[in-house]
Amino acid sequence: MIRFIVRRLLQSVPLLLVISLLIFALIHAAPGGPLSTYLENPNVRPEDIERLRRAMGLDRPLGVQYLSWLRAFVQGDWGFSYADGRPVLDRLVERIPATLELIGVACVMALLAALPVGIIAAINRRFDRVSSVFAVAGISLPVFWFGLLLQLVFAGALGWLPSSGRTSFDGGDVADRAAHLVLPATVLAAALSAAWSRYLRRAMRDTVARPFMRAARARGLSQRTLLLHHALPNALPTFVTVVLLDISMMASGAVVTESIFAWPGIGSLFTEALGKRDYAVLMAFLMCGSIAVMVLNLVADLAVHALDPRTRDAA
Amino acid sequence: MKRFLLVSALVLASCGRERARPAASTDLLTIGYDREPDTMNRYATHILEDIESCVVEGLVTNDEAMNIVPVLALEVPTTANGGVDLRPDGGMDVTWKLRPGITWHDGVPHTSADVKFTVDAINKGDWKPESVDGFDRISSVDTPDSLTAVVHYREVYAPYRLQFVRGTLPKHLLDGKSIDAATEYNRKPLGTGPYRVVEWKTGEHILLEGVPNYWRGAEYPKIKRLLFKFLPNTTTRINQLKSGEVQMVALVPWDKVRELRGLPAVRLNTVVGNGYEHVTLNQKHFTPFADVVVRRAMAHAIDRDLIVRSLLDNLVKVVDGPIQPLSSAYEKDVTRYEYNPARARALLDSAGWVVAGDGIRSRAGTRLAFTLITQSGFAIRENVSQALQKQFKDVGIEANVRLIDGTSISSIWFKGDFDAMLHWWQQGADPEITLFFAADRMPPAGRNINYFRDDTLTAMLYASDRTADEATRITLLKQVQKRLALFVPELPLYNTSKVDAVPATLRGFTGNPTNAGPFWNVYQWQLTAAK
Repeated sequence: MIRFIVRRLLQSVPLLLVISLLIFALIHAAPGGPLSTYLENPNVRPEDIERLRRAMGLDRPLGVQYLSWLRAFVQGDWGFSYADGRPVLDRLVERIPATLELIGVACVMALLAALPVGIIAAINRRFDRVSSVFAVAGISLPVFWFGLLLQLVFAGALGWLPSSGRTSFDGGDVADRAAHLVLPATVLAAALSAAWSRYLRRAMRDTVARPFMRAARARGLSQRTLLLHHALPNALPTFVTVVLLDISMMASGAVVTESIFAWPGIGSLFTEALGKRDYAVLMAFLMCGSIAVMVLNLVADLAVHALDPRTRDAA
Repeated sequence: MKRFLLVSALVLASCGRERARPAASTDLLTIGYDREPDTMNRYATHILEDIESCVVEGLVTNDEAMNIVPVLALEVPTTANGGVDLRPDGGMDVTWKLRPGITWHDGVPHTSADVKFTVDAINKGDWKPESVDGFDRISSVDTPDSLTAVVHYREVYAPYRLQFVRGTLPKHLLDGKSIDAATEYNRKPLGTGPYRVVEWKTGEHILLEGVPNYWRGAEYPKIKRLLFKFLPNTTTRINQLKSGEVQMVALVPWDKVRELRGLPAVRLNTVVGNGYEHVTLNQKHFTPFADVVVRRAMAHAIDRDLIVRSLLDNLVKVVDGPIQPLSSAYEKDVTRYEYNPARARALLDSAGWVVAGDGIRSRAGTRLAFTLITQSGFAIRENVSQALQKQFKDVGIEANVRLIDGTSISSIWFKGDFDAMLHWWQQGADPEITLFFAADRMPPAGRNINYFRDDTLTAMLYASDRTADEATRITLLKQVQKRLALFVPELPLYNTSKVDAVPATLRGFTGNPTNAGPFWNVYQWQLTAAK
């Protein structure tokens, strides 16, 4: 088991290296740079831009910039933000709690919805039809549109909920924080639960159709026992893998949702850094995202391993 | 599942009810702000200094009519009041008299040593101030007494009056320190202004609180606290204004003005801006633009009044040149190119541009067809560019519109890699335009991206920069505007008015056309109780 984990981690090192090279090349290939916003400002003379380019080390050849970034990165020095000069690590770390809070709550909401819906849809044709309509809507609604719609209705027209932010500036108690979470978490959860319930339904359907289920039913087991003790454990490994992979994608921040709701997480930091071409923050952010995907992939494998006895001999 | 979500939303909503709408207070003004500042150090930031200027005051500022008015200085030095001395060696000395009795927020007096420290710190070059313009022409600063700073320039520098518009750096706090690394100062700067920073929650807001003993009098500032909420998404910002979660939004995008009209809690304040929307014609990249006849024909082809009336709801005014009506150097009496498609066609015919089968003109195998780039996500600009496309087509010119994202577009124009561009320049308060039109100021040395070369004009521009006499300078700049209108190197469209949405109960708000921003007189603002 430990050997398996160590091997997987070692395998990821060359992969991360290639990824880092790719993202470095890609973000530098995009037009503009950390100084392009300065160009619009008549106070900043071309001489100033040249001076700042040198001061920021942007005048060095790209290869040299990459190597010096890589050397510092592996030593834990993630550099300084081009935008505000603060350490990149500080800028990321201060944003993580907000992102974890949002994603955590959204995932719990999505699971609470997806589990019963997926299970019932697998056995009840009528419910399946209704829920599939909602699921298609949930999957295909553009996040920014749905988010703005919720803002207009619940914050604008009804005035029940704050439309954005994480806390009121003088608030910050549990009720205030919960109120701020509702809309962004609902938007995220809607898309996730829609997809997840479909996966679960499918996995359950497949299991229910298998001969051992017919045999169990023939033995006179109750519908409840059949579903929860026989079908669900068999369907769960697939479902858990999908859920964990989805979460790993979101670990790099729910970029669109955070931006619409001015949620102070790493997703909105990414949007901001992208607009400013803050290379240092972008590199750190994308590397963390890649690492998160790899780690959660590993966790997904281990979870399946734990849930499904059949995979254990193989390992 | 959706039903479940809705129910859970409603349950959670009940606990948030009553808190979403903050009680209207006359002590707190909540502002929906479109970005989070990089730093609160006015010399290091390169974006608007709205929040910074509430805390750190300049020696001068620009008022709502673009006059330069003293703040920490007793008066603005001029040749007339003896504050400016032209030396025989070609340099100049500017004497700043500081207002007595002013202290930094920590109680330490604000003195001429702070002025000297600021110049030295910027010229030392061991940190990254945004611009060293003007400072690099200062050889030294003398401080004969604690309230007098004599600034010695190596050469005459016409915009000297705005040299310290960003204030001074506190010597007693920053002396001997690396300013880039002075995070404490850069996040919570020490100032002399009406407010100080009490809280900066990254990604969320900055809270300012009025200082107890502001130098203008204990009654100022009248509003106790200012809360700047960072809401980069425009729709979210406008939604919060509608729902009352924020009370003020500075610089409302023109296409959002319609939906804010008629909101009882909101007053829309419009000021003429100090910038102008125009079409840049890159002569180097698309050579037909080098012919003044083609440029004049294009100017006649555009119905600017129609664009302003129909697409911009008359929010802006048609202008004919780069220096704006509020500037003391503005020249009204220049060549105007009224909308006259017949004249445009005649001009193009006379220059040998013949209409081909597809309705587009060509000459010696060159089609009069170019690409017009403009920034994406800017609804009004997208509409205006389409209107221009149609109007050019009417006279046989083809413009292909291409939308480009905001960060990419500046590097594209800086490389000169475009035919024509619809955009604006937001000018500084000083009327200097050499950077945009002098022949030796094409990128990378400047922003002459029309790649327009006129030696007479260039000489006039530089002469205007090298005079400390305001009247002479204005005369020269007026001649510059006439010459520009005559040769029309770019196509001016309209002034970039600034629309600010403020609470209907706010008194003392004037707005500001310059980069000083609407908060320039924030100490006077007052919220009255809602009726």
